[in-house]
Amino acid sequence: MTDARVGAAVPAAAPGHPDLPDGPWSPGEALLVATDLVKSYGPVQAVQGVSFQCNPGEVLALVGENGAGKSTVAKMLAGAVTPTSGSIAVGGQPLAYGSVRQSRQSGVRCAFQELALVPDWTVAENLSLPDGAPYRGFSQKKSVVAAAELLEAFDLPHIDPRATVGTLSLADRQLVEIARALAGRPKLLILDEASSALTPPGVAWLFQRIRELTAEGGSVIYVSHRLGEIAEIADRGAVLRDGKVAGEFTRGSWTDDQLISLMAGREAARFFPDPPARTTDATALSVADLRSEGVHGIDLSLGAGEILGIGGLQGHGQAELLRALFGAAPATADSWTVAGRAVSGTTPVRSVRHGVGYVPEDRKREGLALEMSVGENLLVPWFKAYQLGGRPRLSRERGWIDGILGALSVHTRGPNELSGALSGGNQQKLVFGRWMNRSRTVILLHDPTRGIDVRAKQELYEAIVDLAKQGVGIIWFSTEVEELVHVCHRVVVLYQGTVIDELTGVRLTGDAVVGASMGLRAAA
Amino acid sequence: MSVAAPARLPRSAGITRLRREGAIAPITAFAVFFLVYVIINPELLTRFQLQTASNLVVPLALVALGQLLVVLVGGIDISIGAIMSLCNVVFATQLEHVPVPLAILLAIGVGLACGLFNGLLVAYGGLPAIAVTLASAFIFGSLAREVLDRPGGGITKAIYLATSGELLPYLPVSLVWLSVVAVLLWLLLQRTALGRHIYGVGSNMESVRAAGLDARLTKLLAFGLAGMVTSLGAMMLAASTVTGDPRSGDAYLLSSIAAVALAGAAFTGGRGSIIGTVLAACTLGLIGNLLFFAGVNSYWQYVISALIIFTVVGLPVVWGKVAFAVKGRRP
Repeated sequence: MTDARVGAAVPAAAPGHPDLPDGPWSPGEALLVATDLVKSYGPVQAVQGVSFQCNPGEVLALVGENGAGKSTVAKMLAGAVTPTSGSIAVGGQPLAYGSVRQSRQSGVRCAFQELALVPDWTVAENLSLPDGAPYRGFSQKKSVVAAAELLEAFDLPHIDPRATVGTLSLADRQLVEIARALAGRPKLLILDEASSALTPPGVAWLFQRIRELTAEGGSVIYVSHRLGEIAEIADRGAVLRDGKVAGEFTRGSWTDDQLISLMAGREAARFFPDPPARTTDATALSVADLRSEGVHGIDLSLGAGEILGIGGLQGHGQAELLRALFGAAPATADSWTVAGRAVSGTTPVRSVRHGVGYVPEDRKREGLALEMSVGENLLVPWFKAYQLGGRPRLSRERGWIDGILGALSVHTRGPNELSGALSGGNQQKLVFGRWMNRSRTVILLHDPTRGIDVRAKQELYEAIVDLAKQGVGIIWFSTEVEELVHVCHRVVVLYQGTVIDELTGVRLTGDAVVGASMGLRAAA
Repeated sequence: MSVAAPARLPRSAGITRLRREGAIAPITAFAVFFLVYVIINPELLTRFQLQTASNLVVPLALVALGQLLVVLVGGIDISIGAIMSLCNVVFATQLEHVPVPLAILLAIGVGLACGLFNGLLVAYGGLPAIAVTLASAFIFGSLAREVLDRPGGGITKAIYLATSGELLPYLPVSLVWLSVVAVLLWLLLQRTALGRHIYGVGSNMESVRAAGLDARLTKLLAFGLAGMVTSLGAMMLAASTVTGDPRSGDAYLLSSIAAVALAGAAFTGGRGSIIGTVLAACTLGLIGNLLFFAGVNSYWQYVISALIIFTVVGLPVVWGKVAFAVKGRRP
């Protein structure tokens, strides 16, 4: 356990707290005891002496900003990363590190944020193959039957066990990953940002499963950025900051603001900026009857300086709509204009020329060239083949690059650092930053705040509002309803590839967005 | 969860898998090719011609299967021609000294050793497959010339008869051996966990590792297995030509890669089928013969092979675009 001095930083760690060494719980009773974990990558210490314990039937939350070391701790528990020093014991037995397999055998299962499913395997294969030896027979039929039973038992009948995982939506993939972790009836389940792509009903499903597991005496380590979820599910939690335990809390003894301050190490409050007042009636983008794969006739009109939210459950055409608008997927429409100019059969290259910017769903796969530098990644849309590249170009654009890095407060050693070395939130800022101050007409955002920490979120909100103030039209798909409700002028909710409802003014409430995304059209 | 589960048409799992593994196009291509061949040269179905044709394609098909295994785990084997030459000469020379079964085991063992050598460097050394196998190709090629520096060896009539001759009524025996190997390999890839791991490693190595599976061992075994299958191809070649030749494998490097490409396999790994590869190898192997019977200059066979690859690989892409354009217009 952390020493009382650190724990005392939080109101929750008052005397009598069950986790103090002299409390009623002795380490022998704890299911998981992590002692003084350290992990260094070369000179960088990602985790510096983290200790905590988790009791049977308990949900322990690990919170912290990106780069605070949560994921590294979770990976050490899962066996994917070997600690530099320190020890982990599960049920009194030391955990064998460095092997996910051994860790699985000692009853520890993990659902990772970066999905650990094989895209070319079917759901059934992904569910069944990790268990058992490699030199045994494998029957597709049996695995499909077993997977169907499992999915049925976990109340996921809409997932086809024969479907290839690569064809599923991100949310469904996350559900499969969680189902796989649950399938072994683990003693300890680690959920590392496992709810980041889930919709509200998906999260409710996950909580139901967690409660079933804890009722049987299993423990859950719940790593998440979503404070609302932690408030609901976590019995206890530890706040990590800069690789150390900064404090602890127990259920009901904290407020969002306290926790955020603790995570950030400074006074900070979670707040949503208001959308800026609109100064012009000009139209930035309008499209009538847009059709594409998964998009069945959508009419949209976006004003300059307007923030238009796109709501709905994942897999109802939002990703496809944004891709179609950017020209990344083939699409046709009856009429389609950007800044008054007609558009037809667009491609990403033409879209950029027309003044459209796009922040894609998956920053690692679609957003960044991880092997290239921060500066080059910012400049990516602005490189022409015949132009100067490399260092001369970077130094010429230095002013713009530094401006963006400063405005978004990207934590980087400079424009020459590899973008793959940055934390998730900072990578997301790069994908977003490349469109700033580049005279854009429209920027399309696909859930830019997914899986990034509170401070980075706040900085992105400010940047989005600033862009809108400059007259840029913004189309923003978010899985967080609160973002849509607070920061957007107007929200359209998609359902099965069409607009089911458009919400503005007093009708723009969280309940209305959630209701519409379930297919219910609220009465005006 | 998601309220609307998209309606799914019930479809045979086997067909779905073939489609996913890219096998539909090469199967269709082979059917068309075979039809054209039989129309131009109905004599193909006579005993003699069928046997000559199968003796021609079976070594290529086996080597292509070896290449497929490596491609499935996301690698590529440039040394496959050299492994083939080496096994070929080992088999041919050992027949002069040891009993036949031992010579076969020795050749297979050499293939396995070559594959494991590559696999160790790639899977455990973390080196790129293309560099490792390019370098080892030189080693294996030199070894082959060291074992036997000119065509020769002790292959007997009996071995020819058992592998490539008229052992069975009508059916060319080489096709039987190919089928046995292909079916065993198919069982391994589709009906054992190891086989599915091979697909998984090629699809996404990190995910396989995060799921608690031994990705490196899987890669190593795939390379070893590829070496063994290649050695079978080498022996079939030695037997059907009744000679061991240290350069015999050279021509098979590019053909095996072409066959795997034609089979619709993904060179990033994780996708590719046995049946598609076998039929693609048959198509490529017989083009020369077809042109001969059609009275076309045989130099054109490479151009025709290239056109077939373009067509078969390109058709699914074009098909996707056309299908979308048709669907997109519909209101």
